[in-house]
Amino acid sequence: MKKILIKKGTVVFPQRGVLQDADILVEDGLVARVGKGIEDTQACPVNASNLLVGPGFINLHVHLREPGRETEENLWTGSRAAARGGFTSVVSMPNTHPPIDNPLLVRYLLLRAKEIGLINIFPAGAITVGLEGKEMAEYGLLKEAGVIALSDDGRGVQDARLLYLAFQYAQYFNLPFILHEEDEGLSRGGEVSEGKVAALLGKRAIPRVAEESLMARDLVLAFRTGARVHFTHLSTALQVELLRWFQKKMPVSADVTPHHLLLTEEDVLQWGSEAKVKPPLRSLEDQKALKEGVKEGVISILASDHAPHPLEDKSLSFSEAPFGISNLEIAVPLYAKALIEEGIINWVELWEKLSYNPALFLGLNNKGILEEGKDADITIVDPGTRKKVKVSDFESRGKNCPFENWSLLGWPAYTIVGGRMVMAEGSIVEDEFC
Amino acid sequence: MKWKHKDLLGINLLSKAEIEYLLERGDYFREFLNYSPKKMKYGEGYCLVNFFLEPSTRTRVSFETAGRLLGMEVVNFTTEISSFQKGESLEDTAKTLSRMKFDVLVVRHHQSGVAEYLAQLLPLHVVNAGDGMREHPTQALLDLLTLQRKFGYFPGLKIAIVGDVLHSRVARSLTLGLKKLGAEVFLSGPPTLLPPVMEHLGAKIIFPVEEAVKGVDVIYLLRIQKERQEAGYFPSIREYAHFFGLKEKWLNKKNGGPFIMHPGPLNRGVEIGYSLTEESFSLIEEQVTCGVAIRMAVLETLLQGEKQ
Repeated sequence: MKKILIKKGTVVFPQRGVLQDADILVEDGLVARVGKGIEDTQACPVNASNLLVGPGFINLHVHLREPGRETEENLWTGSRAAARGGFTSVVSMPNTHPPIDNPLLVRYLLLRAKEIGLINIFPAGAITVGLEGKEMAEYGLLKEAGVIALSDDGRGVQDARLLYLAFQYAQYFNLPFILHEEDEGLSRGGEVSEGKVAALLGKRAIPRVAEESLMARDLVLAFRTGARVHFTHLSTALQVELLRWFQKKMPVSADVTPHHLLLTEEDVLQWGSEAKVKPPLRSLEDQKALKEGVKEGVISILASDHAPHPLEDKSLSFSEAPFGISNLEIAVPLYAKALIEEGIINWVELWEKLSYNPALFLGLNNKGILEEGKDADITIVDPGTRKKVKVSDFESRGKNCPFENWSLLGWPAYTIVGGRMVMAEGSIVEDEFC
Repeated sequence: MKWKHKDLLGINLLSKAEIEYLLERGDYFREFLNYSPKKMKYGEGYCLVNFFLEPSTRTRVSFETAGRLLGMEVVNFTTEISSFQKGESLEDTAKTLSRMKFDVLVVRHHQSGVAEYLAQLLPLHVVNAGDGMREHPTQALLDLLTLQRKFGYFPGLKIAIVGDVLHSRVARSLTLGLKKLGAEVFLSGPPTLLPPVMEHLGAKIIFPVEEAVKGVDVIYLLRIQKERQEAGYFPSIREYAHFFGLKEKWLNKKNGGPFIMHPGPLNRGVEIGYSLTEESFSLIEEQVTCGVAIRMAVLETLLQGEKQ
């Protein structure tokens, strides 16, 4: 692998909260040098002037759909979409067919990921066998096979005793939880948020309490057991309040998707099934609270819940259409629009939530930081050029996306994974970079 | 030693000196067991009833053997053919047995505290052969006897107890006994079966098991019951065996340690592999013989009062 020299960039150091002009030399998969005026004639040069250079983005909520749902996405298309989106690592959710609840499937995924070799894929294992919420999966064997976290994403764990035992048992193996909170008794049959739009359209609602009540229960379970938990895709103001309160007592984190920061229930009127997601898009007040949570640092991680479906699925009637938005390639500029353009946080803070904090949560000690000797997972972003979203250009098989034609700033320009250039100037590097 | 207890209900109620006395007598009977014929007359004319309301083979047979070798009459109460099946209460059944003028009643019951209850209710000597998740004093005493005969001392001895500590009366009694005698006890196993409150026993909880067994003299493996998996405490037998079952690498064969103990019955291939028990570092078979010896010592000691 050839060396890469990134020249004249503005380097983001999220762990120290600073930006500095510096060059970076990448060699043998690692960051070899960070500093001013580095020269190396044997290295492939990258001109990063006017670009931001930082540790690679890590998306801890992505659906790659393999095995079993390859018409929606697979490891190859998902890896390409991630590389284009500036993500050097993703956590893949286990709600595949069959679900990732045994070590054999984990080994299969990791072998496929290695074959493709574009980005780092860290599988999450199921909390319960078959995601059925009845029995604990084999966390020890899953961890040995390579899972990085546990999640029943797509479903909440309904049985409190099961999760109570799971929270205790998983600590033996140092596995954190990524929790999708949904009380199925409360959400059953719901399609949109409770509120104005549900009332207007006569749709069955998913009440806020469906998420909030289960999250409150699980905060208490985590507090009593000492488990490390992370709540994914927050959608309500009260969830932010709950989190704020418990963060005074224990380490607990949460993320928010770009669509919950940019869209509200009213967008369902315009976009129909393109805006049908779980949890549902809520009110403007909820959105404001989520943004406030991001600003305060209560929401310390940004994760996009990339949920690809083929276009055919999304052209079904609203009730028949599946939940989810495909956004892996545009998550970064979407976050930039929601958070930076509105002055809620700056680029260093955004980087912290997209790289340093998720690495810390997942225990990836060599990622999330740009320093000599760390993994050369690097994302380079162009903060100043405006481009329009074209869903038909997505590498992802999922074309279910309400952001068509949105004009956005902050697109990833280069993605380097393990010292190898995998995306340059917006396109996948098919052969050698130089 | 003048024995002051009517009953043997738990290690918790015994002083260090009392435990040492029972071990001394146990050691005597252990030697006695090496030679045949081995009939004694000490217990002649005394009657023992085994009142077991939970399945047991080795403990019941061990008590029966101990009683007979001392010269006692032994009757086994079995629930399958008793009026217990007809719905008679524990109190009435126990009182009936007492009125038949048994001298010693050995009881096992699935509820914690039953031995104590019967001891207060009945005039005869009650020996606890396991009450729920609370105590199993003769198991602890036989384990202590095995250890004393192997090592000759307790202060500074390091023992790791591994497995389902939460539901284990064996772990409770043994930990209490070892602490009274000055040994160091480390507990490990799945966190669901080893909540932090178990440190109240005076032992130290260490995760993972590899850390807990490092440098110990003895690894004491607890029996894992299939019901625990069904009740959701751990995901599968294969995962239990893989992470909490005895590993070759925990053993340091060059230095001849640590020794392995297990209260039985063994789940081969789960908490212990197929080949490991017969090796020289296993004390499991010696535990069984010490079981008869220590029960002889217990019965002898309780009958002391009768003779005076």
